[in-house]
Amino acid sequence: MHDPLKAAQAAAAYQQEVLPSGLTVLVRPMPGYSGVHAVYATRFGSVNQAFTLDGRLVQLPAGVAHFLEHKMFESEDGDAFAQYAKTGANANAFTSFDKTCYIFTATEKVDESLDVLLSMVGRPYFTEATIAKEQGIIGQEIKMYEDSPEWRMLVELCGCLYHSHPVRQDIAGTVESIAQITPQMLYDCCAAYYQPANMVLAVAGGASMQQVLAACERAGLMQPQTPHAAVPVWPAEPEGVAAAYKELQMPVAKPCIGVGFKETPLAPGDLAGELICDILTELVCGEMTPLYRTLYDQGLVNPEFGAETLILDGCRCVLFTGESSEPKKVRRMLLDEIARLRAKGVDEELFTLCKNQLYGEMLCDLENIEATAGGMASSHLHGHTLADELKTLAGIQKQDVDAALQTMLREERSAAVLIRPLKEMPQ
Amino acid sequence: MQIKQILPGVRLISLPAQKFNRCRITIQFQYPASRQQATARALLPLLLERGYAGCPDMTELSRRLAKLYGASLSSEVGSNGANHLLMVRVTGLKDEFALAGEALSEEYAELAFGAAFDPYFVNGAFDPEAVEIEKTALARRLEAEINDKRLYCARQAARKFFGDAPAGIQREGYLEEVASVTPAQLTDTYYELLRTASIDVFVTGMDPAPAARRLAAALQEVRRSPAPLLPQSAMPRQPLARYTEQMELVQAKLCMLFTAAKPADPAEVAVYRLAMSLFGGSVTSRLFLNVREKQGLCYYCGSGFSGATGCMTVNSGVEPADAQKAEAAILHELEQLCSGPITPQELEDCRRGLVSGLASVEDSIGGLENWYLIELLRGGAVQSPAEAIEALAKVTEEQVRGALRSFSHSVSYLVTAKGEGGKSHA
Repeated sequence: MHDPLKAAQAAAAYQQEVLPSGLTVLVRPMPGYSGVHAVYATRFGSVNQAFTLDGRLVQLPAGVAHFLEHKMFESEDGDAFAQYAKTGANANAFTSFDKTCYIFTATEKVDESLDVLLSMVGRPYFTEATIAKEQGIIGQEIKMYEDSPEWRMLVELCGCLYHSHPVRQDIAGTVESIAQITPQMLYDCCAAYYQPANMVLAVAGGASMQQVLAACERAGLMQPQTPHAAVPVWPAEPEGVAAAYKELQMPVAKPCIGVGFKETPLAPGDLAGELICDILTELVCGEMTPLYRTLYDQGLVNPEFGAETLILDGCRCVLFTGESSEPKKVRRMLLDEIARLRAKGVDEELFTLCKNQLYGEMLCDLENIEATAGGMASSHLHGHTLADELKTLAGIQKQDVDAALQTMLREERSAAVLIRPLKEMPQ
Repeated sequence: MQIKQILPGVRLISLPAQKFNRCRITIQFQYPASRQQATARALLPLLLERGYAGCPDMTELSRRLAKLYGASLSSEVGSNGANHLLMVRVTGLKDEFALAGEALSEEYAELAFGAAFDPYFVNGAFDPEAVEIEKTALARRLEAEINDKRLYCARQAARKFFGDAPAGIQREGYLEEVASVTPAQLTDTYYELLRTASIDVFVTGMDPAPAARRLAAALQEVRRSPAPLLPQSAMPRQPLARYTEQMELVQAKLCMLFTAAKPADPAEVAVYRLAMSLFGGSVTSRLFLNVREKQGLCYYCGSGFSGATGCMTVNSGVEPADAQKAEAAILHELEQLCSGPITPQELEDCRRGLVSGLASVEDSIGGLENWYLIELLRGGAVQSPAEAIEALAKVTEEQVRGALRSFSHSVSYLVTAKGEGGKSHA
C-alpha cells in the first residue's frame, strides 16, 4: 500500500560520507535530471567576527567573510570563473550571517567542475593590488544595498535589537571596515573555518557518490588532516533591546515599518524550536489570519507584509516588515493580535493548515537540484537532515506553539524602525 | 510536449514531467496591448487571485491552498512585445504525497479554471468592495516602483524609448487611472478577454484529460471571436536621447537601450543568445570581464535582448561620478565586438555556458513550462532545448558580429545622486 509519508521521506533522503580529512560529503542522485548542482559550504559567516585559533585571539572587522568569498575566486593561475568557463559550469558564491557557500551548476564536465570548486575554496590568493580592486567592487556592492529599503530595514532592525551581537552589522561590512582587512586576517580565517572538518560538500542531480568521492580524492581530501583548534568567541549580549525605536528617511513612496522581537537564542540543534518560529509567524500575520485580512482590506499594509525569523549562534529574532501609511497603527494592531493569541491560544485549524503548508514547501524544495543541494548543506550546518525536518514537523503540537508564545514576541523586548519617504522626491 | 487545438485560438499544451514532486496548470490569455484598457487589465489578476465563484473569500482561499499542502494560486500580467498576457497558475504537490489520499490534481484544476473562467460576481459584476481594495493594492504597487531604483530606471528608460508605441504600453497599468476604474468596466474588460484572447492552457506533470474537459466546458457558453494578435515590431533608429534624474541615492543606475530596427526572426534566436552572452549576458562577457572586473566601473553591468521588440538593454549600477565613464566603456566594448577581434576562446566559453544552461532547462518545473511558453509566444517552429543546443553549435563569429552591428543606441537613462550627471537632454 502506498504510504505518502514514506514517499516524502524517500524524496528527502540522501547519501552521506565523512572523509578522513573531516569533510562531510552529501550526495543525492536525482535520476532524470541533466544538471548537477554542488554547494561547498563553510560554517563561517558575517557574524563570526572573533575566534581563538590555536589559543590565539583573532578579531575581525565587519565584512571579512564576504570579502574572503570574493577573494577565493582568484588564484595564481587566474580567475576561477575563467576555469569554469572551460567546463561550461555556471558558478557563483554567497555569504550569509552564518555561512559562506560556493556553488556551481553544470551539465557537462562535472568532474572538471568539481576539481575547480575543490581547488579554489580554502586557498585564497591576493596581492595588494587585487585587494584594492576588491575593496572597490565590494564598496559598490555595499552602496547598492544602502539604496534598498528592504535591506536597510533588516540592518536597522538588527541594530536596534542587539547591543553587541555581530548580527547588527551588514554582511558586507562598510567601506571603512573592509579597508581594515589584512592578509593575515584572511589566512587566519581560512585556517580556522576552511578546514575540511568545518565544511560540507553537497551535490544533487546527475552525479553519484562515487564520482564525488573521486573528486575529493583528487583534491587530497581523503588524507587525514590535523585540525586547527578554532573556537568562536561571542560578545556578551544583554537580554533587552539596544534601542526601542529608530527613524530614518529614504527615497521611498510610502513609509516602511519594521517591528522586531528579540528572543532567547535556541540551543544548538533545536529543530523543533526553529520550526515553531516559522509556524508562529504564519499564525500571527500569514495570509490565512484575521490580522492579515484586516490590514489588507483596510489598505494599511502592502500585500507583501510578512515576517521572517533569524536564528544564529547567540541570536534569535523575529522581524515583521512591510509598507504602511499608518505605521503606528499597524504596530499596535500587531502587538494586540500577539497578546490575543497569547491569552486565547492559537487557532487549532489554522495550526494544522500551517503544518500542511510547511510540509508542502519542504517537498517543493526537493524537486530541483539547486534547492536540494542548498537544503542538504544548510541542514547539515545546522546539525540535522532534511528527513529530520519532515519528522520533527510531524511531531509539533498546538500546545508547543502556545507554550512558545508565552515567552516569545514580547513587547518589552521589541523594537520598531520607521523609514519615512524623503519630502523631496525625484526631480 | 503535445499540443491539442481545442477551439480556434484555444490550445491545450501537455508537458510530461514525472520527475518533479509538483504539478502545474497555467491558463494564459494573450491579446493585443491596449492603452485605453491597460489599467483595467492590470487590475484583473488581483481580482482573479483573491477568489472565484466557488470560493469567493480570499482568506478562505488561502486556507484552502494551505490545506492542499501549500499549493499556490497566482495571477499576473505579462508582455510579449505589442501583445500582453494574463496568466492564472496553480502549482502543488502531486497526489502521491497527499497525506490523506486526497485527489490534489483535481483540486488544482478546479482552482485554476475557477479563477480564470468563473470569477466571483455580485449582481453580474466584480464585487465592488473587492475592486476598491485591489485598486488600493495596485496603486500602492505602482507607487512603490521608486523603491527599487534599478527597476525604476529601466522602466523610465523604456518609457522614453517606446513612447506611444504598442510595445511601450505598461502592462502594470497607470497610477493616475487606477482610481477611475469601475467594477462594470472591469467586468466588461474581463468578458472581452474571454471572448477575444488567444488561450493556451499548459498542463505540466499531470493528466491533461481533465483539464481538456474543463476547458471545453468553460468555453461552452462563450461566444468566442479571437482577435488577431499584433505583429511584432521594433522601434526605428533615432538620434540618441540622454536623460538624467537626480535623487537621494548612493549608487547610480544607468540603463541604455538600443534598437535593431526589426524584431528578431525566430531563426536568429541562437545568434542573439550567443551575441548577448559575449557582450554582457554572462561572467565571460566583455562587460563583466572588462567594465566590471578590469576597470571596476560598475558593480553590475549586463545586457539582455528582447526578440519581440528588437531591443537590447544594458543595465548597470555605477558610482555617480563614474556614470559617463561607464557609458563610454560599455559603448567601447560594443564597438570592439563589432569591428575588433573576437577570440575563438571567448566565443567558445560563452557557447559552452549557454549549452550548459539550455541542457538544464528541463530540470525545474518552472524552467520547463517557461521554455515552451516562450517558444509558443515567439511563433514559428517550436524548438526543444536539445534543438536549441544544436542551433547554437552552428552560430558563427560573423553572425554574432552581424547581430551586434545591427544595434544603434537610442536612449540612455541615468538615475543618479543629487549634484551629479548634469541636465536631461534629447
